[in-house]
Amino acid sequence: MTKIITIIALFVASIVSAQTQFEKGMGSALKLWSEGKNTEAIAQFERIALVEKTNWLPNYYIALINTTQAFQEQDKIKVVALLEAAQKAQDACNDLAIDNPEVIVMQAMIHTAWIVYDPMTNGQKLYGDVMFLYEKAEKIAPNNPRVVFNKASFEKGGAEYFGQDTQPMCEKIKASIELFANFKPETPFHPNWGIERAKQEAENCK
Amino acid sequence: MKSILRIFIFILCYSTFGQTTINGKVEDEKGRPIAAANVFIVGTYDGAISDETGNFSFITTAVGTQKLQISFLAYETINYDFEISNYQPITFKLKENIGNLDAVVISAGTFKAGDNSKVTALKPLDIVTTAGSAGNIIAALETLPGTQTVGESGRLFVRGGESDETQTYVDGIRVAQPYGATANNIPTRGRFSPFLFKGITFSTGGYSAEYGDALSSVLLLNTIDEPEQNQTDVSIMTVGVGLGKTKKWEKSSFSVNTSYINLAPYQLIVPQHIDWNKPVQAISGESVFRYKFKSGLLKIYGAFDYSTFDLNQKDINFDEKVRFDLQNSNFYLNTSYKGNLTDYMQIQTGFSFGYSKNNIGISDDKVANNERALHYKIKLRQSFSNRFKLNIGAEMFHTNFDEKFTDFGTNTFDYGYQNNVVAFFSEAEIFLSKNVAFNLGLRSSNASIVDEFTIESRLSFAYKVSENSQFSMAYGNFNQTAKPDYLKFANHLNYESTSHYILNYMYNKSGKMFRAEAYFKDYDNLVKYDGTQPDYTSNYNNKGFGYSKGLDLFWRDSKTIKNLDYWISYSFIDSERDYKNYESQVTPSFIATHNFSIVTKYWLDKLKSQIGVTYSFNSGRPYDNPNAVEFMNEKTKSYNNISLSWAYLLSQQKILYFSVSNITGSSNVFGYQYANSPDLAGQFQRQAITQTADRFFFVGFFWTISDNKKTNNLDNL
Repeated sequence: MTKIITIIALFVASIVSAQTQFEKGMGSALKLWSEGKNTEAIAQFERIALVEKTNWLPNYYIALINTTQAFQEQDKIKVVALLEAAQKAQDACNDLAIDNPEVIVMQAMIHTAWIVYDPMTNGQKLYGDVMFLYEKAEKIAPNNPRVVFNKASFEKGGAEYFGQDTQPMCEKIKASIELFANFKPETPFHPNWGIERAKQEAENCK
Repeated sequence: MKSILRIFIFILCYSTFGQTTINGKVEDEKGRPIAAANVFIVGTYDGAISDETGNFSFITTAVGTQKLQISFLAYETINYDFEISNYQPITFKLKENIGNLDAVVISAGTFKAGDNSKVTALKPLDIVTTAGSAGNIIAALETLPGTQTVGESGRLFVRGGESDETQTYVDGIRVAQPYGATANNIPTRGRFSPFLFKGITFSTGGYSAEYGDALSSVLLLNTIDEPEQNQTDVSIMTVGVGLGKTKKWEKSSFSVNTSYINLAPYQLIVPQHIDWNKPVQAISGESVFRYKFKSGLLKIYGAFDYSTFDLNQKDINFDEKVRFDLQNSNFYLNTSYKGNLTDYMQIQTGFSFGYSKNNIGISDDKVANNERALHYKIKLRQSFSNRFKLNIGAEMFHTNFDEKFTDFGTNTFDYGYQNNVVAFFSEAEIFLSKNVAFNLGLRSSNASIVDEFTIESRLSFAYKVSENSQFSMAYGNFNQTAKPDYLKFANHLNYESTSHYILNYMYNKSGKMFRAEAYFKDYDNLVKYDGTQPDYTSNYNNKGFGYSKGLDLFWRDSKTIKNLDYWISYSFIDSERDYKNYESQVTPSFIATHNFSIVTKYWLDKLKSQIGVTYSFNSGRPYDNPNAVEFMNEKTKSYNNISLSWAYLLSQQKILYFSVSNITGSSNVFGYQYANSPDLAGQFQRQAITQTADRFFFVGFFWTISDNKKTNNLDNL
């Protein structure tokens, strides 16, 4: 009996120590983010980014947290600071993985936030950029749910504005829900968000 | 059981062994706590953020000598080397990071020490969407304070200065011939289309030591670093057609724009005050090639245009109209490189070549001239810290001007001049704190025509009084070689010179901006000549002088009313000169005491349209009536102009644009030309200098064909 317990205890201990520093760090940072502690989460991701210099994930999350916050922020001055911080992290991602579809989608989202910030000035300037990025991402990963959904959602916004048919975009948004459901991230720390938003937008389509 | 205990003890030991608590406090320079600073041991994941009271505490398993880093957004990062076992709680004082603060403020307006006080940065979009500008950079700048609307010229007149007192730069390199060729009293346009530029900076005085040979103003145009995508732009307009293409590769890109302008249809529809024998026709092309190196960017910009027209102009001195025809060819090449030599040293270098050739016929006289201008420049910028930066540079200008005058096809006169200028400049940028900044500059140049070194000092100072407002001051003295019109006949003239004293207040809060600027300018060594025209029989000297003082006000608001962006400018100016062939010191004819303009842009979402209205007003301008005793003592009536523009988005790719200038058809008078000799009754007869036509109509259709079919041409109007 004691032997079995010893073995189990040893096994547990080995699992605990097998979890790398990176996994622990990312896990705790993502947990902080899910608890709404954005500042703490960003600080943790920044620390990880400084150690893991060849991994784009920590900077990706810094960009994502800042951009998501920018979409919700009402104070225009804060929006600028958030988007500049997001772009700084994005630049690091671009250097490491410029052709990664997740990184491309992130850049398109930052541009979209700038369009929302000042549609009159930035709309004309960045609309083409955003579409260019989504098309590039689509060529690389046509079945990535975030690529399909974000592109369709952005196009839908434009079509609604010009009073054009939004049916094709809605079809794609619906199709993305299935892609989301079947999506397997490379590791637990790779991007795996978006299904809730896709469901919400699909609702709006009806 | 014992063994289980052993293992637990072992695990416990393992996890507590070597654990150290790192705690302390983060404050700013004034001892106020900083919350949310990131404090951590470099190379580990161990760290925390400071709380509301500035305190932080975390546990680390690291041992030995480590580096503790404390970083927070707008503050300079601290790196603290220490031995884990000896760690004692410390209070870290973070210094404000000037560079970061700088960047933060730039997004809300502009703040660059010294330059900020007098620079207004306009977005290219502001220019193309300003009603009445018709895509002309210069016309849009004339809605800013400090400028004069001189309708018969179309050039930039800044704070009592002549139009040639402004120098234009593209990517830091001079443009020798910034304006299109034109006839007397017919307005010209800026040569550059605004949409190749990402930033346009217009300085109305007190500018940096980097810029010289300009008495009044510098206009800095920066081309786009990287275009967005591959696309083709097609424009069909009432005045011509245009075609543009952009191609992008991994590290380089190429853009080309060509256009053909023919004013015949417009001149047919709108009544003209001039007889056109041949309408204005122009063919032009511009191209930019960009290549990205690992730590730098190379740009090659080339522009060519050929324009021609033929007209008969009424001249009070002759019974019959005077025929004037012109062919102008212009070529401009600009190559610039900007990059980093080290992490702290930046290099900017480049050269330009400008070539302009005119063939002009005035009745039976022929004038043929050409100008070749070269400019080389190199500038190094070393950042010693965020608080101290030093720029040094050198440049060379070479100008060669030749003219041939043929009288009735018989007598020929050849003349011209050559001028070589070398100049050195140095400028220090000093931040004492985030609230106080200085720029100290020195420039020295030598023009071969004068063969004397000038010493020019520049000083500017900025003080931020509150989060949204600041005061600044600038002083500078400036020299400029006399203009080609004089040098071609007299190549011994000295520099013309001036000093600027500027006091500025600026308030800037998201979407709202107010600027008030008072200035005084002192002119000396201005060129004087005798006779009615500056020609080869005139005597020239540098005995002219003058002054200029005034107040410029500017208000811009894009926030108060949704979808409405507007700006209001008012300038008051008091300026007199004794120069040219003037009898005494008087206000020159291009100066109107009061200048007012309002520019509005309203985005009408339901109609997918942007509607723009611009109103400009000038008080009357002085002119000389030779029938009166006093010199330059009469004034024209005031100037009024209301312009309207309407851009309609047909779809994502197609835009219809309509604009009309001077919608009320106000018959503005810019001045009077008097006869050279009196008539039989002893009176000098006169004719008014007016607009070439009362209104200008423009209709255009713009179509962008791109890979993704979603961008449009609104930027390009």
